[in-house]
Amino acid sequence: MNFEEQSKKVYDESVSLIADLGFRQRISFEEMNFLLSLLDMVFVHKNNPEFTAALRQWIRTYSGSEIDDIIKATLLAADFNDQKSLQQCVRAVVELMEHRT
Amino acid sequence: MVFKLLNDLPEEYLFDLESEQRVLSAILHSEDAGIEAYNLLAASDFYSPRNGLLFELCSSLYLREVRPTLVEVLKEGHILGLFSNPRDIEELKYIAEHYIDDENIKYWIKKIKDKSRLRKFVEFLKASYEILTEQQGSDVEQILMAAEDKLTNLTALEIDDHVDTPAEMANLGYDEVERRFLRFKEISEMNKGLIPLDGLPTGFDNLNHVTLGYKAGELIILGAQTGHGKTAFALHTAKAIAVDSKKSVLYLNTEMSREQIALRWGSILSSIEHDRIRSGSINETELSIILNAYSRLRESGFYSYPCPNLTPEKTVSIARKFKAQKNIEMMIIDYVGRMDKFDPRLSEWQILEQIVKTQKMLAQNLKIAVMCLVQLNTDGTLQGARRMKNECDLMLKLTPIPKEDFELDEEIKKYLNPNYYLIIEKNRDGRSGVRIPVAFDLQKQIMKDAERISR
Repeated sequence: MNFEEQSKKVYDESVSLIADLGFRQRISFEEMNFLLSLLDMVFVHKNNPEFTAALRQWIRTYSGSEIDDIIKATLLAADFNDQKSLQQCVRAVVELMEHRT
Repeated sequence: MVFKLLNDLPEEYLFDLESEQRVLSAILHSEDAGIEAYNLLAASDFYSPRNGLLFELCSSLYLREVRPTLVEVLKEGHILGLFSNPRDIEELKYIAEHYIDDENIKYWIKKIKDKSRLRKFVEFLKASYEILTEQQGSDVEQILMAAEDKLTNLTALEIDDHVDTPAEMANLGYDEVERRFLRFKEISEMNKGLIPLDGLPTGFDNLNHVTLGYKAGELIILGAQTGHGKTAFALHTAKAIAVDSKKSVLYLNTEMSREQIALRWGSILSSIEHDRIRSGSINETELSIILNAYSRLRESGFYSYPCPNLTPEKTVSIARKFKAQKNIEMMIIDYVGRMDKFDPRLSEWQILEQIVKTQKMLAQNLKIAVMCLVQLNTDGTLQGARRMKNECDLMLKLTPIPKEDFELDEEIKKYLNPNYYLIIEKNRDGRSGVRIPVAFDLQKQIMKDAERISR
């Protein structure tokens, strides 16, 4: 299997895993949709690096606080088809993380 | 028995699920592969209804400018209720994992397309068999023509949708110019002053000069009023191509009998008045001249098909047959107004539009020139003219020169014997709006360029 095929396989496996979790109700449909959209953003469209940077930072500093719950709700409400909405989401998440510290 | 044989065909002979899955996988992973597939396939080309549905889902996303990735397809399918349980996801993943190299997409598309056409062919055979068994008293000609029409749709009338890249277009352009340059040089050296044609000779030097001949794939329309030289023009064209250049021409005539056409040739080739030939009032010397004239026809590439019940479907089947058997380079239809109707509910202009569209497609598919003769109204206009003009590559009109032009037009005074204008109304490949003075000898049924008075 060459590199290109391998990346297609990783993508397909990830989509299948996330959807399976959603359909078996292990995660909510909002969470499923968020993860699927995130996957397309990273794998297919390869855009919005500031969004993934904010996400990484949040995961590194996640402590299960009330603000973390607000950040999660903000992320789940992001519209991946709207660049403005995504930028606003990034700003809100960064601000919330600053408040937390 | 035929029906049984068709039903006994191995099922896997009529479909290829692997190809369907590979194309769907390519659509889900590559935008370019998807575009290729949307252009060449339809949902109905898929044997599996589930695969067809998935293709349709991808196409609808693409039309809404959403790239149909596995994620988008899954989301859309979930909203529409097509994917609702983990088994559906497994099935979708199974299809997605039929990876191909994107460059091979055309190969897999062709495999789907071939199977789809094969299924349509089997359906056609079954339907034809049913017609034969259920409608035994029906008109055989009608059954065969309807079958021919359906079969033609499965074969010849599939247009090649190839899109040229900038590099291909540039190469093609340069090759064409180089070819013409070398040919022009060669002909100029061989015979000074001769115009190098790009297509078949028109029979008129001035028209050759403007059009460079009738080219393969072109639709030519010639309009004239009743009794003003339509058939003479058609046979003059046929003479230039089939008799003088020895190339094959198919001539379809909807009005005249075999004898009438044959007699016209006697006059055209011998320059003896048509009326005298028709009545037999000729002397023995003239009879001998006519005999010699017919020997030129005998050695020519002129194939005549008098056909009072000509339909557009019939022109397609006859042209295909003669292209295969005699390698015809031109077909002349004399004339389209006399063709039987596609559908009696359609009005005259709609019928003419359909006829010319069919003929244009035929010219392109068979790579021949097709000339359609049409009748002008008494005021010189043409029914459905704009639509015809859109479809054709070259539109010519043959009209008598008005009396006042002989007195007032300085240009026409430079000619010895003109009586008709050959007007180039449209010329996709060159100048239009040109009036060529021609001499039409009604008695001898001969047309030629009007002679210019030498100074």
